[in-house]
Amino acid sequence: MPSSSFLTDISLNHYLILSSVLFVIGMAGVLLRRNVIVILMSLELMLNAVNISFIAFSKFTQNVDGQIMVFFVMTIAAAEAAVGLALAVAIFKRFKEVNIKFFEHLRG
Amino acid sequence: MTPDVFLFWFLALLIVGSGLAVLLFTNPVYSALSLAMTMVGVAAIFITLNAYFIAGVQLIVYAGAVMVLFVMVIMLFDIKSEVQAFTSGKISGAMKLIAVGLLSGLIVGGIIMGQKSFVGELSKDAAAQVAEANSAKMKRAAGADAATKELGVALFTKHIFGFEALGVLLTAIAVGTVALARSRGGTHAK
Repeated sequence: MPSSSFLTDISLNHYLILSSVLFVIGMAGVLLRRNVIVILMSLELMLNAVNISFIAFSKFTQNVDGQIMVFFVMTIAAAEAAVGLALAVAIFKRFKEVNIKFFEHLRG
Repeated sequence: MTPDVFLFWFLALLIVGSGLAVLLFTNPVYSALSLAMTMVGVAAIFITLNAYFIAGVQLIVYAGAVMVLFVMVIMLFDIKSEVQAFTSGKISGAMKLIAVGLLSGLIVGGIIMGQKSFVGELSKDAAAQVAEANSAKMKRAAGADAATKELGVALFTKHIFGFEALGVLLTAIAVGTVALARSRGGTHAK
């Protein structure tokens, strides 16, 4: 039973818990789903979870460096999505399938 | 319950709910829409944390560009819903679920219990100290415009090397993606 201060005082811990819950949802998506595109989406969820904790630390320590790190993470995430989706398109052209079960051996 | 607190809980529920929807929908188009909802929620969380510029970038880059990329690829594939969306095998699936549950329990428990650890101290004593040290800097940076200016100054002075390295990386990624998209099957070429 959470105390009332847990519900009414939003602290750094709240943001960190939200971030970790979102990260774990993303990890469950990567482990449990078999569609390449949904796996890439779950990776984006995990990166967003890390961004939340960066911004929360940046706010609660009054330091702007965390926001710059988020800027870099976003750029890397966009690049990763572009490369991952290009790979998915190449795989789909060859196998006509997006389920990772059918190309786990990575050979013709 | 003040508006700030209500906003946090509303956004937290929105983010966790739509994040779960991403992995529970078997239709990839619904998953993509849930992901867009999650991105918008995360951008709103950034606004509640006074990171206005980052919130705008989040909306443009994720909810705009990356989501368009995902939806375009899904429509290119023309998949309605999947035959076997989730991992097969009862035992391996159960082990994966257990691993996920253990990790979430460890992280949340560590954050809650760790009042005397790094996180707890940072949120109370150290945070106050660091905030005091930075307060003069942030006093200049009161308001949205000034905070964005502070961000830009730090980006183009202290972190200029990382910024330039990102430029090189993005060029390499653009060239590599085009080369990958134009490849005639790679090792599977006939």
